[in-house]
Amino acid sequence: MITRKFLVGLAATLVAAAVIVVLPLFLSDTHEYRFAFVATFFIAALGLQILTGYSGLISLGQSGFMLIGAYTTTILSVDHGWNDLLTIPIAGLLAGIAGFLFGFPALRLRGAYLALATFAIPIAVIALAKKFSDFTGGGGGKNLTRVLTGHEAYVTTWPIAGVMFVLAWLLLLGKLGRSFRTIRESEIAAVSSGVNLTVTKTLAFGISAFFAGVAGSLYAIVIGFVNPDTFSINLSLLLLIGVVVGGLGSLVGVVFGALFIEYVPLYAPDILSWVEKPFGAPLDPQRAGAGAAVYGFTLLLVLFVAPYGIAGLVGKANKSLQRRAYNPNRT
Amino acid sequence: MKRRLGLLAAALAVGATVCVTALAGAQVNGVTKTKFVIGGTFPLSGPAAYYAPIPVGMKVYFTYINTRRDKKTHKRGVDGRQIVWKYYDDGYNPANTAQQTRKLVEEDKVFATMGALGTEPQQAVVDYMNDRKVPQMLVSTGATEFGARYRERPETMGWQPDYFAEGRIYGKYAAANWPTKKIAVLYQNDDYGKNYLEGLKAGLGAKSTNIVREVGFGATDASVASQVVAARQSQAEVVAIFGTPSPTIKVYATMKALNYKPEQVILNSVSANDYVMGLALANSNAATLDGSISTAYLLNSNDPKYANNAFVKLYKAQMAKWAPNADPKNTFYYYGFAKAYDVVKLLQATGKNPTRAKLLKAARHMNWTNPGTLPGIKVTTSATDPFPISQVKIIKYDGNAKIWTEQGSLINGRGGT
Amino acid sequence: MAEFIQQVVTGLGDGAIYASLALALVLIYRATHVINFAQGEMGMVSTYIAWALITNHGWSYWPAFVFTLGISFLGGFAIHETVIRPLHRAGELTVVMATIALLVILNGLVSWIWQPDEKILVSPLSGGTWSVGDIAIPQQSVYDLIIVLVCVAVLWLLFRFTKLGLALRASAVDPSASRLLGVRVPWMLSIGWGFAAILSAVAGMLAASAQFIFTPGFMQVTIIYAFAAAILGGLESPVGAVIGGLTLGVTINLLGTYFPGQISPDLRLPAALALLLLVLVFRPSGLLGRTAVRRV
Repeated sequence: MITRKFLVGLAATLVAAAVIVVLPLFLSDTHEYRFAFVATFFIAALGLQILTGYSGLISLGQSGFMLIGAYTTTILSVDHGWNDLLTIPIAGLLAGIAGFLFGFPALRLRGAYLALATFAIPIAVIALAKKFSDFTGGGGGKNLTRVLTGHEAYVTTWPIAGVMFVLAWLLLLGKLGRSFRTIRESEIAAVSSGVNLTVTKTLAFGISAFFAGVAGSLYAIVIGFVNPDTFSINLSLLLLIGVVVGGLGSLVGVVFGALFIEYVPLYAPDILSWVEKPFGAPLDPQRAGAGAAVYGFTLLLVLFVAPYGIAGLVGKANKSLQRRAYNPNRT
Repeated sequence: MKRRLGLLAAALAVGATVCVTALAGAQVNGVTKTKFVIGGTFPLSGPAAYYAPIPVGMKVYFTYINTRRDKKTHKRGVDGRQIVWKYYDDGYNPANTAQQTRKLVEEDKVFATMGALGTEPQQAVVDYMNDRKVPQMLVSTGATEFGARYRERPETMGWQPDYFAEGRIYGKYAAANWPTKKIAVLYQNDDYGKNYLEGLKAGLGAKSTNIVREVGFGATDASVASQVVAARQSQAEVVAIFGTPSPTIKVYATMKALNYKPEQVILNSVSANDYVMGLALANSNAATLDGSISTAYLLNSNDPKYANNAFVKLYKAQMAKWAPNADPKNTFYYYGFAKAYDVVKLLQATGKNPTRAKLLKAARHMNWTNPGTLPGIKVTTSATDPFPISQVKIIKYDGNAKIWTEQGSLINGRGGT
Repeated sequence: MAEFIQQVVTGLGDGAIYASLALALVLIYRATHVINFAQGEMGMVSTYIAWALITNHGWSYWPAFVFTLGISFLGGFAIHETVIRPLHRAGELTVVMATIALLVILNGLVSWIWQPDEKILVSPLSGGTWSVGDIAIPQQSVYDLIIVLVCVAVLWLLFRFTKLGLALRASAVDPSASRLLGVRVPWMLSIGWGFAAILSAVAGMLAASAQFIFTPGFMQVTIIYAFAAAILGGLESPVGAVIGGLTLGVTINLLGTYFPGQISPDLRLPAALALLLLVLVFRPSGLLGRTAVRRV
């Protein structure tokens, strides 16, 4: 099982872990706070990577499962006095069960039909969260029990992100991971090689929703507030962007995807003011829409430069390195 | 490896905490000899981006204050301190508000946030602001809770009359003027619309049974036709519309399209401005809009009656000077401009050596006239009453003259329940 | 009974708009097998162009309408040539991401250029109402419905009877064989995008008048309904898209009217989507979609 690819992956993971441990020394509290968001996006996008990148099932429902996790934590900690960190596994499990159940009607759907059916998930759970306002606090939302400093948020989220990463890795190394990849390539081939489609697909949905639930729970803890509209389909799209920018089928790449979706929108107006200065053009970075336009262009640019994601760039670099190393005609 | 990670993280936690403690507690954040740094978060993108003019209106007033010389002190700015106004986009998303607000407090080190916008977004940072003891002043929302919970959240305060109190005024008005008429309510199905609906029922009291139909709509619904049909079918003589501008315009236009003209229409104040009515008018006709009633606390800068009002003239001149591309008829600019007046008054009230404690004290002792509000309204607060503006006037829409006109005298709509 | 008929009438009016945008989605899906998330925003941009021509440059409605359709065709064509085609080899999901990027860009640019406040585009068709007994029939709903039906008819004629239509269909069904037969496949796909852009422009301008006001976000709500309408009808069938759109419009209105206690307004869309999911469980390719032949 110990292949070259495995060793490269291990090395990359260790480097990333080391960076994450040392990073707080160099970050201000505000940036540590932002990195806590990176961690939650990372966890949710890991789940989506398992579903979309490994199993080939596109989902726009991830934010809906995050909502379930977020509200589990909020209701247990605010209304029932639980320690918020202890609610995280329960948040993950409840979301996971919901995802598993959604897997059944989704079984018969393929490709675009599946993608478009999953957008019903966030729409439905948001509406339900607003409807049962006695239980959830309704559309106006609910404050959590404590306010974290940026540093507290960082040290709360990243160890959990590390655990989730290892979990995802172990899952995909094993038999289940192989089944996922087989159904991505060909469902018929998967069936003929003894993969149980029903079990594998519903499990893929369940596992990915479990990750989303944990992420949603942390999201609520970090913000200190939940309301249904935060988990709109836009958040799902954001996570899908994270997965694609990171690179389909790469777990480490998801870190870059998570960094992208947290930091690029935030700095889009600043990017504009850098452009503005040398050209002296009155672009008015704070004008409505300016930041969004720049963000969109950045995303498009990344897609052109790295159509296989940031991990794909590195992979490409590796390939060309190899080619050079083994080129017999090299002078 | 995981254990080591945890250990290191713990070690780092201690280290960073020491650093943070060492840094804290120096001079007052956001105030120097030459400037006040204040800020806020606003939706500059996303579905609520039509509020984006508000921080611009505020900016124009602050620029005016920074450039003019005070008549008494002959200094520019607030007693010589320039106002530095920082505002960021949160897209009306609480997750963004949380991050941008921390940026304002921790990186920009603002003295206070002023007029930051939105019920849910501001709710999301209310605990943070109170934890850090940073004033969250004059938030741009009429949700009752920003004033009502002042004991637990002393750093937080609203500005405009709250929605519940406004709804109650309509209830009382309806009970007094139309005691036997049937009422249908079209409300935005969120906390904002429900706040109004509850207020209306409280005001109607025993007459609540006059309400024959309550139908909700979503703030971003493409069509409100189904809801208007329901109101029409209920044969109500009075229709109350409690919604933000977009759905309100759709309700009026659909009423016209379905040939539906109730005897009386009540409209909540957020949507009751000439700008919104102008758009509604373009999609319906004068008869549909004529006679709608609402309430107002700001004077109508588009009303010819106030063409010679000094504050309105100042508004138009400064807008032309500092935001030449903006349309001053859009009342959200005016809202920001008028609110900024109170921001400056608050900053002035902190005296020679401003501190946040002094700002809070000033905020609990507001007692002046904001020239941007209707004549006669006093901006007042006390230790137990944190609702700065609580007087309103009933206004009525004249569909032919295309203008809201004031009716009767000021009504006290004291906040809280 | 009167309320029932009234709700059906207004539901058909709403549904016509969903149908017109669903048609555009179907066209793109048939041509390039991509779900175009930016379809609504493309229609939104077209609507702003028409609005700017009328409001800022004094054009009258119909010339602006036709001119906008032309610009939209070029815009759709250009988007396929410059963004979609170069990325096509990177895989379906990358292309879908590119449409999401386009959504963000177009929305941002329009807010940036024209401000995010409410605008109006009053169509010469809007305004009047026919009364039949107690039932009011807004003229605009009827015209919208007619325009959508005309669009389907034109599409059908185009695909069925013209050489261009044949080439368009061939390129979508079997690109490599078409290439061998001398069809310029990428060109054809770009033309397909151009037609879809025209349809979304029609959808945008109809929606802007039917919804009375519009902001840069106005098509983001409509496109959710259009997605639902398109999959309900079967992603590959234009007639299905229209049936899907009208069914959705009527169903949502009736759900809201007859289950007001259980199905409050914000539950109408989820309830409709739940019904949609139920339909899909029994017919995984929608009402009129053919079941795809699966490769081994």
